[in-house]
Amino acid sequence: MTTIEKQKHDTQPHTFGNRLRNILLSQEGILLLITIVSVLFLATRSAEFLTPENLLKQGRFVTEIGLIAIPMTYIIITGGIDLSVGSILGLTAIVLGWTWQELGFPLPLAIVTGIIAGTIAGFVNGFFIVKVKVPPLIMTLATLALYRGLAEGISEAKSARGYPEWFFQLGQGEFLGIPTQLWLLIISVIIFGIILARTQLGRALYAIGNNETGARFSGLTVDRYLMFIYTFSGFMSGLAGYIFVSRVSTTRSDMGTGIELDVIAAVVVGGTSIFGGTGSIAGTMIGVVLIQLLKNGLSLTSVTSDAQIIVIGCVLIFAILVNNFIQSRRQIA
Amino acid sequence: MTVKEKATPVHRKPIHFIGIILALVIVGAYLYLPIANQPELGASTVAQITESKRSNEIDMFTSGIQLIPLAGFGIFLLGVWNIAMPKASRAISLMMSATGLLVVVYFINFARDYIESEASYFDNMGIAFWIILVFGILTIVQFLIPRGLTEPKFRITQMYGNQESVIVFGLILLIFAVGMVNPRFLQERNISDILSGNAYIAVAALGMSMVIITGNIDISVGSLVGLLAVISGRIVVDMSASPDPFLQSIAVPVAWFAPLIVGGIFGALIGFLVAYLKIPSIVVTLGMLSIIKGILIIWTSGERVTGMPDDYFLSQVRPLGIPMPIVFMIVLTILVALWMRYSQTGRAFYALGGNSEAARLSGLSQKRLLMTVFILNGVFVGIASVMYSTQFNIIQATPPPALELSVITSSVVGGVSILGGTGTVIGSTLATLLLNFIRSAMIFINVSPFWLKAVQGLLILVTVLADLIRRRRQRV
Repeated sequence: MTTIEKQKHDTQPHTFGNRLRNILLSQEGILLLITIVSVLFLATRSAEFLTPENLLKQGRFVTEIGLIAIPMTYIIITGGIDLSVGSILGLTAIVLGWTWQELGFPLPLAIVTGIIAGTIAGFVNGFFIVKVKVPPLIMTLATLALYRGLAEGISEAKSARGYPEWFFQLGQGEFLGIPTQLWLLIISVIIFGIILARTQLGRALYAIGNNETGARFSGLTVDRYLMFIYTFSGFMSGLAGYIFVSRVSTTRSDMGTGIELDVIAAVVVGGTSIFGGTGSIAGTMIGVVLIQLLKNGLSLTSVTSDAQIIVIGCVLIFAILVNNFIQSRRQIA
Repeated sequence: MTVKEKATPVHRKPIHFIGIILALVIVGAYLYLPIANQPELGASTVAQITESKRSNEIDMFTSGIQLIPLAGFGIFLLGVWNIAMPKASRAISLMMSATGLLVVVYFINFARDYIESEASYFDNMGIAFWIILVFGILTIVQFLIPRGLTEPKFRITQMYGNQESVIVFGLILLIFAVGMVNPRFLQERNISDILSGNAYIAVAALGMSMVIITGNIDISVGSLVGLLAVISGRIVVDMSASPDPFLQSIAVPVAWFAPLIVGGIFGALIGFLVAYLKIPSIVVTLGMLSIIKGILIIWTSGERVTGMPDDYFLSQVRPLGIPMPIVFMIVLTILVALWMRYSQTGRAFYALGGNSEAARLSGLSQKRLLMTVFILNGVFVGIASVMYSTQFNIIQATPPPALELSVITSSVVGGVSILGGTGTVIGSTLATLLLNFIRSAMIFINVSPFWLKAVQGLLILVTVLADLIRRRRQRV
């Protein structure tokens, strides 16, 4: 943020109109507008689209991406990236299935073991990024292959199925009429959104993203924060892995392949700069929702799934373009 | 910097070209001497070989094949001598002597087996040729492309050299170790399959390295290779089926060159979005990844392309017995390496990646450079896709799985810094070879196929860590 802009903010009278204008012209505001317009458009094309049942069903599909997108937002805000989330998801799923079926762990313990495995995987990323100073892109590129390989090695291409009924509660059940996992997502979004926006930890992440050396010199424990967010990313990917298994009722080692691109796309569409320093959980969530609704709406208007990915690619680029354009206009004005 | 301390001139003495001459001797001996021209004997049984030996069809001590170990020994000596020389890069000299030694050791193995009529190494004769051809030539090119000059005082730390030499050592070590465990790994057919089957990745990595050197990235290469391969296949199939004889006659060249042009157009589009509309390249190419993949699947509806005419299969051509992809890989790597080292644009790429603000202030047009690098990248992806599509008789309608990751990994393991500004394309080509040798070696030393990917990931990690530790030590 330039000084000029800051001065302008200060001199602006805090009237309702001004505030509304600021919200509407913020990254999230524009994105929300795009989302609403595309939802309305899709609703006119398919009667099925804007029904509660359909939207809740989509909520189920979106939870894993949404959960992983939270730590991904944190990481991208600090100027890093985590490409290994999909592999961690797969690893967690495999560890869960393997400890339960092959090692005979009780299922709750297997779930915990799986999520712990994911967390450790995230910690390993963080450790090397912080202590050995491997650039995040390279580190997670290597562990993308490594963790997926571990999942393949442990599972030996066998899938685990036949879970008891209660296990599916999280992935397939409902609570108060809303899919269970969606509650988890909503709670996480609120908690971690507030943490990012209002707490010292959250503000520190922005500081690191804007100027890591500066953050270090102002006494922030940068290493500890970075270590935390990569470990957190592993944990959330692990959690998403558990939900994934619970939703599809089987474990396979190729689970979550390519999910990292979906997650990063959602985060970036949500206005988080890939260079770090800006972004918000709200924006990310709008990005997640926008992409999922587009996918679903298009498939309901009988656009093939292959054409959908073209649309999503275009939306990704278009969203950034519009945002860039409006933000630069705002700065000039 | 005072005027006196002007940059030391590059020392390029004619002695270095002796290495090239010796390498040519080995290559020549392999190609033109009778023993080496009978690879079909190599694939035959021990009895047949013994019989042909008895009937004096081949005689290893009169056929002039001794030139190979002699030249290998010469390269070894030259390398050793260079290590002692103050002005030559020691890492390169060491690579050179190791390569020479490898040839000699290999030949001794071969001769011993030959005399004992075991002949288990007999069909591996080609190895000397491949090693010299690939590592040797890339090594020698490093002489032509001097990097920082070493200090007069000999220091062991210089042995670490640069990432390129680390990779060459890794390769030689790997080939030795795996060759000991399973000599079949060293069979000419296996080595040449590994080299030619993955050469297209190396060519795509050339473009990727350039893009990364400017501080950008392109994650859409996998989809683009898939799309361009299908475009090429469709063109040749449709045009050869047309009744017009003129169209028929130009079908194959058009199919070879169309991907280059289409790739360049896609590159220009990406470059435009990155340079003029200022969208980060990772975002643009993430979007293009989806768009291109979607176009590919809709257009082909998943149907494979078959029925290409025989003269279309460029990758199956073997001029002088060398598979065409290997020729492409080596020639392009050398050309790009020289271009990046000596041309104005090449240097400007490094400047842009090293410090874009400084590059701008020294009068470089960032927009034009970004356009250039992305268009070039598109053209290289085009070449890679032709190499890929002419490999087999069928062109799959799906992009090669996770190709963009292989390409980026090759560049990065080869020492191209993801932050931009450093690295060479020789490193990226060598890294492609290393990664694929590792993949193949895993199979030959009987690693369970389920653990392949894990071991591979671990080795990538180790390579990256080794590079980081080496760099830090050099800085201290």
